[in-house]
Amino acid sequence: MGNRLGRYGIWVVVAIVGAVCWGMLALSRGETVNAGWLLFAAIASYAIGYRFYARFIQTRVLETDDSRATPAERLNNGRDFEPMDRRVLFGHHFAAIAGAGPLVGPVLAAQMGFLPGTVWIIVGVILAGAVQDMTTLFFSMRRDGKTLGQMAREEIGPVGGAAALIAVLSIMVILLAVLALVVVLALAESPWGAFSIAMTIPIALLMGIYLRFLRPGRVLEVSAIGVALLILAILGGGWISESSAYAGAWTFDANTITFALIAYGFIASVLPVWVLLAPRDYLSTFMKIGTILLLAIGIAITLPAMQMPRATQFAFNGEGPVFAGSLFPFVFITIACGALSGFHSLIASGTTPKLIQKESQVRTIGYGAMLMESFVAVMAMIAATTLDPGVYFAMNAPATVLGDTVQSASQAVNGFGFSVSPQTLQNTANAVGEESIVGRTGGAPTLAVGMSAIFAQVTAFLGAGLQAFWYHFAIMFEALFILTTVDAGTRVGRFMIQDLVGNVWRPFARTSWLPGNLIASALIVAAWGYFLYAGVNDPQGGIYQLFPLFGIANQLLAAVALTVGTTILIKMGKLRYAWVTALPLAWDAAVTLTASYQKIFSPDPLLGFFAQRSAAIEAARNNELFGNAETQADVQQIIVNTTIDGILSIIFALMIIIVIADAARVWFGLVRGTKEPELSEAPWQESHLDSEGREIEREPVGARS
Amino acid sequence: MIALLKPFRYMWGYLREISGENAYDRYVVVHMTTHPERPPMSRGEFYRHRQEEKYNNPGNRCPC
Repeated sequence: MGNRLGRYGIWVVVAIVGAVCWGMLALSRGETVNAGWLLFAAIASYAIGYRFYARFIQTRVLETDDSRATPAERLNNGRDFEPMDRRVLFGHHFAAIAGAGPLVGPVLAAQMGFLPGTVWIIVGVILAGAVQDMTTLFFSMRRDGKTLGQMAREEIGPVGGAAALIAVLSIMVILLAVLALVVVLALAESPWGAFSIAMTIPIALLMGIYLRFLRPGRVLEVSAIGVALLILAILGGGWISESSAYAGAWTFDANTITFALIAYGFIASVLPVWVLLAPRDYLSTFMKIGTILLLAIGIAITLPAMQMPRATQFAFNGEGPVFAGSLFPFVFITIACGALSGFHSLIASGTTPKLIQKESQVRTIGYGAMLMESFVAVMAMIAATTLDPGVYFAMNAPATVLGDTVQSASQAVNGFGFSVSPQTLQNTANAVGEESIVGRTGGAPTLAVGMSAIFAQVTAFLGAGLQAFWYHFAIMFEALFILTTVDAGTRVGRFMIQDLVGNVWRPFARTSWLPGNLIASALIVAAWGYFLYAGVNDPQGGIYQLFPLFGIANQLLAAVALTVGTTILIKMGKLRYAWVTALPLAWDAAVTLTASYQKIFSPDPLLGFFAQRSAAIEAARNNELFGNAETQADVQQIIVNTTIDGILSIIFALMIIIVIADAARVWFGLVRGTKEPELSEAPWQESHLDSEGREIEREPVGARS
Repeated sequence: MIALLKPFRYMWGYLREISGENAYDRYVVVHMTTHPERPPMSRGEFYRHRQEEKYNNPGNRCPC
């Protein structure tokens, strides 16, 4: 009894702390709520989820077996297969899954208030996101590191497999476009930002040469040099933006940056990786982890109050200026990666399963790393909601709604039911060293303003006026790793196209063949470049139109992963526990399909692509303007964009229906016994490693007489 | 004094491990036991291989 109390007593305390924090968040009567409550509510919930639910999944559902050798042990070649220390692998896996999504999504979702997004970030990760990552990692590990696409093909069938492949490719395109859009919006008209980001190219080239020819493999020293140069580049940007001679030369409009990015993406995809991509990846990984740590420390020290209300009217009326649609389903679509990210299933079925030492470690690595990712999303939510809500809306509504001046923006914000004085908007812009902050959509600038306010408060003892440095530090960090993503994503997309076409025409699949390389690179760059260009010039606001599509695509991939997981659980004879993946799947399908349905069929032109299209066509016929359009050309642009976006929505919805229907066929066959459950697991072999990865000493057979 | 340095030593070891700086040394050990008849790749060659493999694989980084 006493033992039991000792074992569970601490968890009773954790549960009470968590409940009190959640209570403060939901019910506190004060004007504002302190971010500390949110921080501790999150940590207590994660701890309970990890200790109880993840453990339940590990021991009862998956029944991990530490006496079974993992592929890392059986196939160890010191290169791609290799048992890796679980702490190191945790770091690798977290660095691989942490991208821009959990930073951008919560910022946009903050238009509905801090509570709806937060609840989903925390509940969603515990019951869905981390479960998906952990189960996919386990299933792929049992299959020697097979990819999600291969598992979909083997466990469901060729139709499900093909749908998964098309889903991945289309997600990639829309993802790259939206992320590139975030960068363009953050750098346009900002000489400071443009200069410091441009400098990352020579810095990366230098690092590449150093790593290739001078000191191969010395990643730490070259990264230290790189980060130092990066800080210099940020300081240099400040100098440029104040110099009358250079500020103009480094001020670019959105379209110039768009084309520069498209050209850059193409070149980076064609070049060998060591020149640009690999060194940038090191830089961005260190910057990413470092900045996330800084943010955590900054929030813990300053404990800011959240200015945004718990829930705004946009949660219910669906007329928010950042994205259309009401709480269900759009808050779930927008949060995306911080709670449940389909793309993680590609990581969990990529490099990581080949490096796991012990089966039970899927809990730390799969579930644990995803909890960290969710925590990053919580911090992004805090940074965005500590801003004055008026400033938030003046930054995130489409520029066409806000107008060009602080006066017009202030009026527009009043129209949303919030208030902000033109002076406040100008002061905020001055504090961060920008000409204007009005209409800086995309989430990155908002996050940077929030983060820089927190950092500036911490470093206040060093003097005032540091906020501008921290703002550009934050922009640099976001832009750097989004650009790395654009490079890496373009390259991967290129390989996927080469692989696909290679099935029909052999030579195309050879990745070293230059014409194939050039054509496939051009195709993939043209695809995301088109959406990027359309987004930058969309009169309705590119983020407003495209971000929901990105969210839907990512959640669609999660549905594929959860479907594969459910199928495998049933085949393992775990029908009784299949709800572990089937319930998140049902929820995810409901969210994704409702969102798709509304995007396709809603009669509201704000929400439905086709309703918007017909309204725009009608307006064009009468020679009138529509929506935020200022000219007839804008109206035509809206017609084209909504047609393409609408068709994409249809394709996404069809994919998810096909995958689930095809899997349901397999499930029924298995349950009714008309289908043999064939598991394609690698056969059991005894492990010779202990839990720390050391060789277990064994007495040779026959040594004892 | 030594005890104070311990966390930093640990951090440094962790960084070296996670950045892949000592991956080559481990590879040589594994290679020597599994294929003693063939010479292992050189350091430069090894990292070149690793890089190629890493960036040609969609499961290496989440773009989101």
